[in-house]
Amino acid sequence: MRKLYSLERVSWLFVLILAIVVPPILGGYLTSILILICIWSMMCISLNLIYGYTGQLSLGHSAFLALGAYSFGLVAVKLHIGFWPAFLAAAVITGLFGFLIGIPALKLRGHFFVLVTLGFAVTIGVIVLAWVDFTGGANGLAGIPRPDPIPLPWGVKFRFDSLLHMYYFVLLFLILTAGFCHRLVSSLLGKTFIAICHDENLTESLGVNTMSRKLLSFTISAMLAGVAGALYASYNAVISPEIAHFTRGTDVLAYLIVGGSATMTGPIVGTFVLVAIPEVLQVVPYLKTLINGVILMLFIVFLPSGIIGGFKTILPKLGGLRGRPRAGEHDIA
Amino acid sequence: MGELGQYILNGISQGCVYALLASGLTLVFGIFDIPNFAQGHLYMFAAYIGFYMVTLFSMSYWLAVILATIALGILGLLTYGFIFYPMRDAPKVNCFVAALALLMILEGVALYFFGTETKWFILPHAKRILTFGGLALAMQRLIVIIGTLIVMVSLQLFIKRTTIGAALEATAQHREGAMLCGIKVSRVSALAFTVGTALAGIAGVLIGPAVLLMPTMGMGPVLVAFSAIIFGGLGSIGGAVLGAFVLGLLESLASGYISATYSLTFVFGILILTLLFRPKGLLGKEVWRP
Repeated sequence: MRKLYSLERVSWLFVLILAIVVPPILGGYLTSILILICIWSMMCISLNLIYGYTGQLSLGHSAFLALGAYSFGLVAVKLHIGFWPAFLAAAVITGLFGFLIGIPALKLRGHFFVLVTLGFAVTIGVIVLAWVDFTGGANGLAGIPRPDPIPLPWGVKFRFDSLLHMYYFVLLFLILTAGFCHRLVSSLLGKTFIAICHDENLTESLGVNTMSRKLLSFTISAMLAGVAGALYASYNAVISPEIAHFTRGTDVLAYLIVGGSATMTGPIVGTFVLVAIPEVLQVVPYLKTLINGVILMLFIVFLPSGIIGGFKTILPKLGGLRGRPRAGEHDIA
Repeated sequence: MGELGQYILNGISQGCVYALLASGLTLVFGIFDIPNFAQGHLYMFAAYIGFYMVTLFSMSYWLAVILATIALGILGLLTYGFIFYPMRDAPKVNCFVAALALLMILEGVALYFFGTETKWFILPHAKRILTFGGLALAMQRLIVIIGTLIVMVSLQLFIKRTTIGAALEATAQHREGAMLCGIKVSRVSALAFTVGTALAGIAGVLIGPAVLLMPTMGMGPVLVAFSAIIFGGLGSIGGAVLGAFVLGLLESLASGYISATYSLTFVFGILILTLLFRPKGLLGKEVWRP
């Protein structure tokens, strides 16, 4: 297992180096796809925190993405307070929404939580489309700024006007998010999340306040989805009510399950596979929902642990290796 | 009368659609404990099937109603056989995800094959508007109300008066107990899925000529139907129907007096309030396996 573990580390270092070195030689089209992959991966990681690790299936993440994108866009466009304050405001507003909707929703278990989050997602979709004076309605919201140039020493400024710079900016956020979630899940707090996923009543009987832990996990998850939304708004410069459609949440759920929920690398692998393949094959946009649905169905029926989960069960058997499972890697019950 | 009466009439006819969807959902929910999110998309599918049968194959509308209902029933049976039967021992949360995947597949098929533009399902008789006592009702809406009544009565007779219906109810009440009595639970489940989906089919093909057809038309009604079964009390068809009519009336009144665009928001508010203050619903006897 130790050998496998180090192999995994080396391979991820390799992937990271590739992610940094390769984009300059790719064209603008492929770079823009990589940016989207990074943003959806962040959203997928945020969903993994609440669904994969804490065991609460949320379909409300499209609403949090839209809340992040719109609050960032509205604050930046209407108040003109610069990139970073608007970014911070977007994260705080989305986290607050996550907290407020989490209080009633997380009291419920199983289907009811799923239903309330789905209802929330659809409601936010309706509001974004219908509140024309505030959100711009179907016309969308334009003129959202890119990040302010970062002054470097020697009088040089790191600007974000090119696609490549934006890619590195988003990649940095993806790495920060993944690192944050890894630390969170490995911590004692994260272990209580995993315990709730396994058996909520048992965890409660051990004296853990499961409601507050679930609420914390949900709020953090919402905030991360909001950050992904703000990045999307900043990258795209225009946002339309389409991002608030609830299928964004189900698509990201498909990425998560195909990659492997409750694994650290699964969300990124799943997003990469499901976003990159249709782009490379030049699939008609309307077929994407269909393809995502079919792939999700195949995985949930035949391989619910996803690509990474499948590897993790197959690899040790092939090598005859046995080891103790590492923190944060458990089969989802 | 006047305005208020008109809104109440609209609410009743809208409530009929929700009642059909909600009773189909209750059948599946009662036996499997799976909220079938795809119910609304199945309803959309039935509306399109009816539309194509009438426009492309120039069938009579009544034949289209019967054929679309049968087609949806078969689709429900296939769904059960290929998706939910293999997953019967899987964790519940995986079944939700499978229902979502089904929703995505149906929406994708509809977007690709039926197109994104809205379609008018115009029938000669549907243009007629009946007026009585200052109230107006489209002919098709009257057909929806009468059709719902017929379906509801026959569903009730089927469940209460036939042996198969009794087996269905027994399985919903206590799965293991039903098995011990010699009921073949997997067959009963297949039947519940077929009937539940066929109910969505009837709802879709009845309401089709009264609304605009689009691939996303099912999402609003299915959320209202879910809210209705939670509001009315889970596990009882009577509760589901009552909840459906209350929410249909509420939606009609809210869109008449407040705002039409936000009517889903009011329904969602009711859902949250019910879950917070009366989780067993209006007619529910106990909280449905929390």
